[in-house]
Amino acid sequence: MEADPIHPMRNVRYLRPQKEWKEIIAIYLYLAGMGAGSFVIGTLINWMGVKWNPAFHPSLDLFGYPLNFSSLPILWGPIVVAIGAPFLILDLGIKWRFMYACLNPRTSWVARGFIILSIFILLGLVLLAKSVLPFGWLRPESTLWRIPEIIAFAFALGTALYTGILLKATKSVPLWKTSLLPLLFLVSALSTGSMAIILSTLGTGFFLHDARALQVLMHAVQVLVVIEGIVLYLYLSGRCRASEQGKDSVRLLIYGEKKFIFWGVDVLVGLVLPFVLVSIVVFSHGNVWLIFSSGLTLLCGGFFLRVGVLHAGIKDQIPMHRLMEIQYNAMAESTKNLAGERPGIR
Amino acid sequence: MEEKVLVVDQRKCTGCRLCELVCSVFHTGTSNPSRSRVRVVKWEDMGLYLPMACNHCEQAYCVEVCPTKACHREPENHNRVTIDKKLCIGCRTCIIACPFGHPFFDVQERVTVKCDYCDGDPQCVRFCDVKAISFTDADKTNLTRKREAFLKYAESMKHVR
Repeated sequence: MEADPIHPMRNVRYLRPQKEWKEIIAIYLYLAGMGAGSFVIGTLINWMGVKWNPAFHPSLDLFGYPLNFSSLPILWGPIVVAIGAPFLILDLGIKWRFMYACLNPRTSWVARGFIILSIFILLGLVLLAKSVLPFGWLRPESTLWRIPEIIAFAFALGTALYTGILLKATKSVPLWKTSLLPLLFLVSALSTGSMAIILSTLGTGFFLHDARALQVLMHAVQVLVVIEGIVLYLYLSGRCRASEQGKDSVRLLIYGEKKFIFWGVDVLVGLVLPFVLVSIVVFSHGNVWLIFSSGLTLLCGGFFLRVGVLHAGIKDQIPMHRLMEIQYNAMAESTKNLAGERPGIR
Repeated sequence: MEEKVLVVDQRKCTGCRLCELVCSVFHTGTSNPSRSRVRVVKWEDMGLYLPMACNHCEQAYCVEVCPTKACHREPENHNRVTIDKKLCIGCRTCIIACPFGHPFFDVQERVTVKCDYCDGDPQCVRFCDVKAISFTDADKTNLTRKREAFLKYAESMKHVR
């Protein structure tokens, strides 16, 4: 990742990252990833049999039957994904035509994404409704529910991976054209998702009678943050070696105009601070304000990771541009020589 | 139908941007170069101009990534790659996918647009005074360059004699 001098022409014309996908797409990627990640972690917690302290259940009735909120703080992921999905539609030129993409599921990753997200949202909401609604005929304790749970779990993983695959599938941006990007987004989704679950259970007493579960989740966040840092390093160093434009993108993040987003928010706020704060929380036995601050910084970092990756995407250079670059070089050289011969000319 | 392609000779281009103007007039009815399907990239300090038009690539990324197949190939029309405006959802995935930076987002129509050879009579070719853009048979695109190279060779051989 050495800082080679950038060609003046590339600097002017081609060191410009793509401007088509901006913050709206970053919000979509973030909410889809975080929601899916929280559902994965929440389902794992559910399967491990961690139950909410009954003393903290809010009492709400539906037609005289008490609603069961015992799994709500860990299974809300599909709601967040459902909130995030319209952001992709908001970014379309003609919004109502998103139906065309749904009707052509096998054409591209944008279309496949509609299907993956729709199945995950539907299944997730059904499972959430099953756990909340008080109707006995739903048989919430039946082992048959394990089948939709496993399918929803798989689709949640698919949703978290898909956010990276969507960018990878665009092909012309070397920064995105790697399998490490879906992996990075998956790890980030799991870390932000698990932290979001900790935040959503904060003050509800969910883990009060099972403090070990909270400890395990905190350690999981620590491990995920470390893995995210390693994957981020491998991803950027790999992209740096991949092509000239990949290197330019990495340079833009590390030294260029996106360095504040990368170093300040992605690395410091999104990785270092949460890791330090969570470590302090683990030793200080659950200071609520520390948990809250570490959660907020991690979630913030997760969002700006996507913003940084989106904003640093520079397209591949075509041979024609390379030819122009050589011509530009030759002309600049001759102008310089001419100026050397005649001092009046610059 | 014989396949034809747009060939750009950037050495002839003067950067007048008439091609952008006539393109926008033909396609949108307005003289607004920002809605044109051809763009002239400029390096004014060195006097370099590069008209960028769609290459209608054999392996077109824009076709591959289009979620609605609005972007498709028409073998019967010079094998061109074109966008059906009625199907385009304006997701701009094709713009990101194209390495030539070609399809453009039309802010007024809210869809992506691209060069369609003006239905067989490209206006940029018709109005280019210096003939920097030509519409030639796909298998004869290199003939001009070969001819120029051989003429140069013949010229240099005269001096040798």
